Amino acid sequence: MPRLFRTLQRIVVIGIVLALATTAGAEEPPVSSPGQRHFPGSGSERLNIQGVVEADVLHPVLEAFHQRYPQITLNYRDASRGARQPSAGIPADVDLLMSSAMAQQYQLANGGNAQPLGRGVINPAWPESARWRDELIGLTHEPLVMVYRRELADIAPPPVDHAGLLALLNQESAALAGRVATYDPARSPTGFMAVAQDMARSQEAWGLFEAMGAADTQLLDSTTAMLEGLIEGRYLIGYNLIGSYARRVVREHSELVLQVPTDYALALQRLALIPTTAPHPETARRFLSFITSRQGQQIMTSRTPLGSPLLAHKDPAKTNESLEPIQLTPGLLALIDPLKREALLHRWQTIFTLGDAVVPQAVEGEVE
Amino acid sequence: MTSAPSLHRRLLGGLALLLLLTCILLLLQSWYSAQRSADRAHDRLLASAAQVMSDHVGWRDDRLWFDVPASALNMLAPHGDERVFYALVDHEGNPVSGNADLAALMAPLPAPGAFQAGPATLNGRSLRVGALGARLTGWHHREPYTLLVAHTLEARRAMTWQLFRDSSLRLAGIVVLALAGLVMTLRLALRPLKDLRTRLKARTAHDLSPIDVTVPRELEELLAALNALLARQRQVRVHEQRFIGDASHQLRTPLAGIAASAELALRSDDTNRWQQALHEIQTGTRRATRLAEQLLSLTRLYSPQAPLARAPVALDTLARESLIRFLPTADSRGIDLGLAEHCPPLSVDADRWQVEEALSNLIDNALRHARSRVTVGIDAAGRVLYVEDDGPGISDSAQADALRPFHSDQAQGGGSGLGLAIADGVAQAHGGHMIMHRRPEGGFMIGLHLPGETS
Repeated sequence: MPRLFRTLQRIVVIGIVLALATTAGAEEPPVSSPGQRHFPGSGSERLNIQGVVEADVLHPVLEAFHQRYPQITLNYRDASRGARQPSAGIPADVDLLMSSAMAQQYQLANGGNAQPLGRGVINPAWPESARWRDELIGLTHEPLVMVYRRELADIAPPPVDHAGLLALLNQESAALAGRVATYDPARSPTGFMAVAQDMARSQEAWGLFEAMGAADTQLLDSTTAMLEGLIEGRYLIGYNLIGSYARRVVREHSELVLQVPTDYALALQRLALIPTTAPHPETARRFLSFITSRQGQQIMTSRTPLGSPLLAHKDPAKTNESLEPIQLTPGLLALIDPLKREALLHRWQTIFTLGDAVVPQAVEGEVE
Repeated sequence: MTSAPSLHRRLLGGLALLLLLTCILLLLQSWYSAQRSADRAHDRLLASAAQVMSDHVGWRDDRLWFDVPASALNMLAPHGDERVFYALVDHEGNPVSGNADLAALMAPLPAPGAFQAGPATLNGRSLRVGALGARLTGWHHREPYTLLVAHTLEARRAMTWQLFRDSSLRLAGIVVLALAGLVMTLRLALRPLKDLRTRLKARTAHDLSPIDVTVPRELEELLAALNALLARQRQVRVHEQRFIGDASHQLRTPLAGIAASAELALRSDDTNRWQQALHEIQTGTRRATRLAEQLLSLTRLYSPQAPLARAPVALDTLARESLIRFLPTADSRGIDLGLAEHCPPLSVDADRWQVEEALSNLIDNALRHARSRVTVGIDAAGRVLYVEDDGPGISDSAQADALRPFHSDQAQGGGSGLGLAIADGVAQAHGGHMIMHRRPEGGFMIGLHLPGETS
């Protein structure tokens, strides 16, 4: 590829990244779609939930809630589909905001954009580590994992930890070229969280990302997309996938193997908050009360792949020792410091545009 | 008798009130000092966090560069749930990075090398903001900048409360000890009073001996007063006994005379003798009756149950009336009894019966000692009602004794020896006193000085 073209491409990418921080992306009309669920209620009460979980995944919980409170008109919108919202703002009609982009959620609450959940709303047995100030609550506890296809073993022994993955990429970069997938931190806040946390943990992570860049790693904006590619055989290995989705898919597709990194596995929490602008905070409280109750947690564990922090907390023997939960501390703010974010993305783009990367589409918002 | 509050209760109440006031002051003081300590400790934390952050400020791409460390942000939330804010601004105050516009809350920004902290409000929330002025330490760039950090006040409040609670608990312990000590000390201190009371209660009505007990200095005066009262009581009793003895003696004399006259008359058959005896008996009976009346007057004078019935009394009228009553007696003795030439009207607030009694006694007394003349007069200026006679008078040295009941000088001349004592008693009951002096032109004057308003 001519050098000039590459430079141009780089400029375009940087421009797009900078635009992310300031302008809203393209809007799609909020029509009924796979990203939406609507349960008409018999009464006048309403509840609008915005999350980044696929509506399909959350459907059993929403349905159970609707059965319990049939008078509430329930709307669920998956923000990773449909209308994309600027990450800084909260739509005025949202009563409950759920996201695994922990730093963004923390920043919203820290800035005073969340209202208190209230006494007696949350199950008292809920772990303290999954709460902050009675404003944020971690509803799930999900490790970031690697998923690979079984035929990877034909090329090399599959990696079990980060160092193994780095070695594999360094040795087999030709064989793996274009067949590795991971999050694009520029487009997905969750992906950004994962990269920033990897970086915060150790600067060695740049080695891994550079190796990924060299292997022409594909940058995607959701775990679902990565899993789709893996199922179709386009990718051999995926890095930093959300464990809950991966586990469900891997259970159905025997050609895939889920590997929780044995050195460390970052565990994300899906944080929920009630915005101060929420038009129906009471119904949002009722939903949180329901989802954290025993009944709600039973549905979460048995009928969704999301799991229960309550059970993980109660049974430490079952939890993986390498699991490193991302703590709800002000340190999260450092991950999305504007300067730092800019620098990290810049370096990221440098690595991945030097390789034969695709030009990412300019979209902004919460994407998994 | 309404009883004043108990000494015990009063002392305990006063001291407890004092203790309470001290407690309130100490609590206030400890609250402020707890607040100050918490602020100092957490301001130091702000300073350290800003210092740590300043190690991550550098120069890159021709601008200030800041790699905010997560650990420094975590430091800002010692309580875990504080809202945390930070900002990096350049020397002109333009924001470089951060999550809140803290520079607007802190003006002016500190000079490089200085740290300052202060309270602020952001979106209606109380914050504590710390600002650290610093400068890049590179060889090529010496750019000044300011790091601002802020957090909400949860940890400060928690620490203040904890410090306050600790010192309050200590104070409560001290108060309990102090109260227990106070009650015990009061009991011990008031024990002598109790002892004194027990001793006084145990006394019989006739026991007037001094109280012999060791008491604290504060009670010594009371005990001395009590013993002085007892001593006076003893003296009064001695006087009373002597008075009763004297009175019996005085009464016995006329009665013995009566008995002797009767006996002599019974032995005789002479009717003249009988007649004489009857006269003697009449005289003796009169004397005894007069003595009994005077004793009664004196008793009434000293009796606390009969208070003075004061009313305006015109002394001139009173003198005239008394004088008329004594005229027959004076005539029989050949004495010229009369009113003084100048006798101005004088009215005093007094018990009429008592003043009349006193004047009668003075006139009676004067008639006994006078040679030929007795004058009753009034000195309006000196407020004195006086009786003057031309008898021998009373020598200066004997004047004080003359006022005592049954004094021997008075008993001569057929007096009961109570006349002057009654007059003195009346004078004293009216707040006045007796006046005696010899007139330069001859004659002796005894007067009754009665102070008071003229009506």
